[in-house]
Amino acid sequence: MRKVLEVILLLLLLVFTHAKGTRYSPPGKPALTRCRSPEKETFTCWWEPGSDGGLPTTYALYYRKESSDTVNECPDYRTAGENSCFFNKNDTSIWVNYNITVVATNALGRTFSDPVDIDVVYIVKPNPPEQVAVTVMEDKGWPFIRVSWEPPHKADTRSGWITLMYEIRVKLEEENDWETHLAGQQKMFNIFSLRSGGTYLVQVRCKPDHGFWSEWSSSSYVKVPDYFHREKSVWILITVFCAFIFLIVTWLLHMNSRSLKHFILPPVPGPKIKGFDKQLLKNGKSEEVFSALVVSDFPPKSSNYEDLLVEYLEVYIPEEQELMLEKSMDLDVSCLKSEGSTSDSDSGRGSCDSHTLLMHKCDGVKEGRERQAEEARRHQKDWKEEASTYSNVDSSPDMSSGRVKTWPSVFSPLPRYSSNQQGSLETAKQHYLSDSLFRPSSTSSCHTQPGHGATEALGPSYWECGLSNKQPHLLHPQGQAQRQLQAHSDDNISSIGRKPTPAGLPSPALRSTEYVEVQRVNEEDMVLLQPVSGRCGDVEGYPQVPHGEDYSKVKGVDGDNMLLLQREVREETGNCDTPSTVATTQKPTTCIHSAMPVQGEAVLGVNGYVDTATVFTLPTY
Amino acid sequence: MDRVVLMLSVLSLGVSSQPITDGQRLFSIAVSRVQHLHLLAQRLFSDFESSLQTEEQRQLNKIFLQDFCNSDYIISPIDKHETQRSSVLKLLSISYRLVESWEFPSRSLAGGSAPRSQISPKLSELKTGIHLLIRANEDGAELFPDSSALQLAPYGDYYQSPGTDESLRRTYELLACFKKDMHKVETYLTVAKCRLSPEANCTL
Repeated sequence: MRKVLEVILLLLLLVFTHAKGTRYSPPGKPALTRCRSPEKETFTCWWEPGSDGGLPTTYALYYRKESSDTVNECPDYRTAGENSCFFNKNDTSIWVNYNITVVATNALGRTFSDPVDIDVVYIVKPNPPEQVAVTVMEDKGWPFIRVSWEPPHKADTRSGWITLMYEIRVKLEEENDWETHLAGQQKMFNIFSLRSGGTYLVQVRCKPDHGFWSEWSSSSYVKVPDYFHREKSVWILITVFCAFIFLIVTWLLHMNSRSLKHFILPPVPGPKIKGFDKQLLKNGKSEEVFSALVVSDFPPKSSNYEDLLVEYLEVYIPEEQELMLEKSMDLDVSCLKSEGSTSDSDSGRGSCDSHTLLMHKCDGVKEGRERQAEEARRHQKDWKEEASTYSNVDSSPDMSSGRVKTWPSVFSPLPRYSSNQQGSLETAKQHYLSDSLFRPSSTSSCHTQPGHGATEALGPSYWECGLSNKQPHLLHPQGQAQRQLQAHSDDNISSIGRKPTPAGLPSPALRSTEYVEVQRVNEEDMVLLQPVSGRCGDVEGYPQVPHGEDYSKVKGVDGDNMLLLQREVREETGNCDTPSTVATTQKPTTCIHSAMPVQGEAVLGVNGYVDTATVFTLPTY
Repeated sequence: MDRVVLMLSVLSLGVSSQPITDGQRLFSIAVSRVQHLHLLAQRLFSDFESSLQTEEQRQLNKIFLQDFCNSDYIISPIDKHETQRSSVLKLLSISYRLVESWEFPSRSLAGGSAPRSQISPKLSELKTGIHLLIRANEDGAELFPDSSALQLAPYGDYYQSPGTDESLRRTYELLACFKKDMHKVETYLTVAKCRLSPEANCTL
């Protein structure tokens, strides 16, 4: 019966095996995957089983050391887990080759794996470092991370059995890239350049000098505190400061925009001609354009010439002379010209012909006042010789202020002094126009009768004073002239005008031209001049513009430095006798040539008239 | 005679006066040199292995099981426990012998490459250094307890036997043994050094 049962069992087995067919097979070939030693004292080998062939398979690991021929089986299949073999310290030899084979066995057969030779020394893979501590520390306000760890507890680094090297990697929590640092054999590491407020992950691993890297330790999290504010506060300060400076610069630029604009982009000067009207040019009327260019006041007329004169000849008339002035009555000075003269208060004051200077000079002359008449006569004589050497002196004596301004022109009224003689004056018209600038130097030196006159020492001043003295004489009889002179713009003179008596000083700032006409030549060969009037005796004549026929045209200069004047034909109005005589020469010709000694070079004016001031450089004594 | 004794004592004192600092420095130098040699050996071996074909590799693996290193006669600790038990002097002497055993055969390692030609002189220098260390650490104990060191010379001829078919195997063995021995010396020296270092935890 038992035999029948066994046969039946065998048949059943056979049936089963046949039923399953080719599924059952001997086990597949296992393979040793790896063997690792964590501390160079023990090691573990793992294998990969092959197909089991459908049957329960057992695995066995056999090894053989190089020095012996005995084959040993794995002492421990469990400690290291499934499909592993653990060799403990007693079974581990260093620097010894192990030949390890895994055998898979099932009901149908056995399968050997390929043998593997290992040397424990070269399969060391330590455990990850332990006790990884990450702390945030500060270095002068800047934080950094300090990572510290311990070697795996199994690895014996204390005795030097294993030498481990470490590696750290760091990354921000939200990023994917790790930053790796090699730490060598030290157990501590610092990480700098952290992002404030960030969270970092830190991992550590180690490796023996000949072996494999361990696994990374578990991540340690660390949060860096915010030192953000400290950074930003500085930036805020800087920004505010820059904004402030920028505002100031902008304001400055705005204030000086114009000047800057001129500096950087200077305006291009365009052509501009005074009086030039572009519109006229555009219109095409060239005549009008050019006529507009003509300056109306060129050449300067004599009437305005006095405006150009700057220097005044100040003459001081002491009060005593006023009395003397009163005495002279007969002078006809109606034709005294009074031009508006701009006499400024300090004209000539600082110059040599200062008021005080004149005063000084005049004072010296006061002694000679008594001899004025004689002097005058002598002067007249001189004049005669000189034949009105002097041009008109436009004097604006100002008694009120005690000074007399005399225009630096030849004193034409001087000859009128002759009228003091109270003789009838032959009206001789001799007008000498002079627009001259009288040099102060010469003024101070005074016009003296060139080279003549006894009183040379006192000449200049005396002459001046005399002039001032004379003028009142001249002016005295011409009350109307004074009225005329009232119109003078000179304030100094206005007072004079009011004075009915010749105490008021002679004509206010008489402008440049005060024309004199030679009245007659007396028996003593003196030319008596009288002021010009439009009509003889017409006191009320306003400032006369000398007629063309009243002027003498210079014909030429002869060899003896004599100026030959050409008298133009003059219409005989009949009012005045107009014999023109010159003391020196008497030619009974219609054209009377009067020669005047020229002390300098003859300068012919534009229209043939002589600018006598420049011609005659009056001598200085 | 008194003077001789005095001089000898002074000399001995002088020699042992600075054991630690000089020893540490010497150890450091020796360890670094050995490490370098070991790296060289590793590189040589890997180069050789990579140049082999798989079939040859399999054959060689089988052959190598038979343990043909010439230094096998030198008994050395083969695990940590044994190493810890050994004294520093023993470790140093073993290291000395190992280096010495390779001084001659390393010349046969020389091929055409430069690293090979450098091995022999380095070994000589290392041997000198270890000798100095021994001198520095010996306490008057036996210098060479093992007489087996004198048996070096006969083994030297072992690797000189020519044979073209065995040349490959021989080279393989040579390189493998060299690599292993260098690692041994490195380990022994490191352990000895750590044992002598003043710090408890030998991190260097």
